Amino acid sequence: MDIFEILSPLSVLLCFIGVFIGIIFGAIPGMTATMAIALFLPITYSLDMVDAIALLIGLYVGGISGGLVPAVLLNIPGTPSSLCTTFDGYPMTQKGEGEKALKIGITASIVGGFFSLTVLYFFAPVLASVAIKFSSVEKFLIIVFALTVIASISKGSLLGGIFSGFIGVYLSLIGMFADNNQLRLIPPGFEEELAYGFSLLPVLIGLFAIAQILQESEEGMKASPHQTFDFKKEKKNRFTFKIFNGQIINTIRSSMIGTFIGMLPGVGGSAASISSYSQAKNFSKHPEKLGTGEPEGLIASESANNGLIGGALIPLLSLGIPGDSTTAVLVGALLLQGIQVGPLFIPANPDLWDGIIYALIIANIVMFLLMFFSIKHMAKIIYIPKYIIYPIIIVMCVVGSYAINNGVMFDVWTLLLFGLAGYVFMKIGIQVAPFLIGFILGKELEKYFIDSLKGSGGDLTIFFTKGPIALLLWMLIAISIIYAIMDNRRSKKAGDQTITPST
Amino acid sequence: MKKLLTILLVAILALGLAACSNETSGSGEGSEVDVSRVRLVIGSTSTGGDTYQNADTISRYLEDPLGTNIKVDAVGAVRAFQELGKAKNDGSTLMFFHDMAYLGVEYGSIQENNKLENWTIGPVVSINPGNAFLAKGDAPYDTMTESAEWLKDNPDETITVAIESGGVSEITFDGYYLWVKEKYGTEVSDRIKAYVTGSQEDKNQALWDGNADIINGSIGGNNEYTKEGVEDDIKMKFLGITAGERVEGYDIPTFAEQGIKVDGKEFVFDKEFFFLMPKDVEEDFASKLDEAVAEVEENPDYAKDLAKNAYITNYVPADEAIAYLLEKRETFQNIIKNAPSLDKITN
Repeated sequence: MDIFEILSPLSVLLCFIGVFIGIIFGAIPGMTATMAIALFLPITYSLDMVDAIALLIGLYVGGISGGLVPAVLLNIPGTPSSLCTTFDGYPMTQKGEGEKALKIGITASIVGGFFSLTVLYFFAPVLASVAIKFSSVEKFLIIVFALTVIASISKGSLLGGIFSGFIGVYLSLIGMFADNNQLRLIPPGFEEELAYGFSLLPVLIGLFAIAQILQESEEGMKASPHQTFDFKKEKKNRFTFKIFNGQIINTIRSSMIGTFIGMLPGVGGSAASISSYSQAKNFSKHPEKLGTGEPEGLIASESANNGLIGGALIPLLSLGIPGDSTTAVLVGALLLQGIQVGPLFIPANPDLWDGIIYALIIANIVMFLLMFFSIKHMAKIIYIPKYIIYPIIIVMCVVGSYAINNGVMFDVWTLLLFGLAGYVFMKIGIQVAPFLIGFILGKELEKYFIDSLKGSGGDLTIFFTKGPIALLLWMLIAISIIYAIMDNRRSKKAGDQTITPST
Repeated sequence: MKKLLTILLVAILALGLAACSNETSGSGEGSEVDVSRVRLVIGSTSTGGDTYQNADTISRYLEDPLGTNIKVDAVGAVRAFQELGKAKNDGSTLMFFHDMAYLGVEYGSIQENNKLENWTIGPVVSINPGNAFLAKGDAPYDTMTESAEWLKDNPDETITVAIESGGVSEITFDGYYLWVKEKYGTEVSDRIKAYVTGSQEDKNQALWDGNADIINGSIGGNNEYTKEGVEDDIKMKFLGITAGERVEGYDIPTFAEQGIKVDGKEFVFDKEFFFLMPKDVEEDFASKLDEAVAEVEENPDYAKDLAKNAYITNYVPADEAIAYLLEKRETFQNIIKNAPSLDKITN
């Protein structure tokens, strides 16, 4: 059906507003696409279904994309899935290429977005049936595969990186174990606060933003009142689309990984950008440069995290299973309108299905235009003196942390605690990025491990005997680890110990 | 660009104002409360589940008679109780939840200090009659009783049921388990295993993976998978619902109809939604809320909205709700006491 028969001017306007607000949510550390959608959920009740979905899709696309801005300019991932964006995005800003980095990120985002949209439109039902073939065993192996990135990003000390990752996994397990409702690993007196464990976002932004500010305050303002950047380079090293010439395979591969991992219900979006960053590094001609401000890494992370939008919608729209926490909120919006999502959703609601696809197209285009042309202004953030920008960042982080679970003060303490921890980590050599990757993936790692064992009656061989997909995943894991170890040795021989893509 | 941004900001502001002006227009009928904004915390973190939907529907209808704004916050059971414990007594923070509020305490998933006696119980407002059990479309049985018969006739087989621990899912599984034990003896009931997992998606996946033979689910959440045209791989069928009466429009027998009894009594479990307020909540507020709920329950549009997702109205005034829920709790305390420990019956 014709696009304008389904989308009214109001739907387009709402989609536009959604993207705009979404970008702001994504850009503020601590606020996420999920939060933006949850906040606007009650308003959608009074809207027509297609208008409502246009608004929510706009928020979704904007929210995922906005995370790029603080990741690149301030080294603070605005959302968990933009963690890997900081690895190369911020070093580019430090080299005076902030604007270029943002433009690369946005271009990669729209490619990822359109790739996944195309996959969603043409292959949704087929892929959804593949997705449900992934049982807890395969999901566990995918998480292990994502974790192998720790080996490739902990350049300085491989063992140190793995150790940091283990601490991350350990801390992620604090809280109530859902299977038997028992509290575990909680220090006495914190049973109520830590019943759900530490919230991810306050941990994430505490480790990045607050730790960095603490570290800089140790040096004192006099050292450098501005962030130290080489501004001269910007002029001769501008953004052109030619940068993507040698990156076509990387962009497509990362979009594919993003879409595919997004498609698997219960495997979070962060695993998508982490895995594709890891693969970009493994396949790179000069892996040692990743983490020092290479567009390659940035493209991998950003095309994957926008790729997961279409991916996450695949099982939702063709099976009724949300692919991630954000799409779970979208189910709420559909149910409030009395629309059940399930395996017959697409044939039963052809107009709405078209509306969703059109809204995605418009949202991606609006996101690209809004961000691409306003980036000049956004990039100026880095010219603001530290004594002005840092207090603003702290306020935003505190507000974001307080809001993430609808007003829980303990989340603010978490932010500050992990800020302090991040500062101590830097001093004692615990690497922040591997720690966070462990923390982000730890819960899923445990859940799928236990679910696999429950299914097999405790038989550990299930991880090898489950079937061909599991074996393939084992191979990928092995290749990824071998490659990382070889790379580590090579760079040690070359005496190159420069890269630690953490703060 | 700047012009565009300005227009956009104005549009957002206008939308915001329009939304506010709608929400604040009270009916002026004397049941208005003094608080300008009520935060309704719910015992679930999901905005796609039945708790959110029931809370959202009742609060939309209550705003007018109460002359206030109501914001539903999906914070989860532990946090919702924490917030209620810290709340002022003016009614600005309320909680909305279902039977898990007390079942959770009995099972140990909710702390003892959150038992019903420590709160002021508000009116019961609605029922989700859809709590159900399902099997794969090609399973060799069509009802829960047939599954037990099948288990008796096939002494080498087991049936694994995917449930969530500590709430409605577990209590209804316990009902089935105890009935099988009473009727067929332990040689059959010992072959019923539990696969304990989390969300509805996890339970569905357990069925598709072959890790479970029967899953706990609901009409709202699972009906789409039972329809004609769904591929065999993911097709499901209902084996029974636990509600007291059949749900209109669905041909699914209740547990009671199938003859499932525990201690000689028909096993019936209706999942009911109700308000909880701070212990010392102002009496004036509590009675106004009760009156407003009574008024909303009469409104056919409210019933129609609930029916969209197969929920039904069910008003029990606050003063009767206390005795009503305590009695219901007592009934199920007995079942919990005799129920098997999940640790012992998981694989």
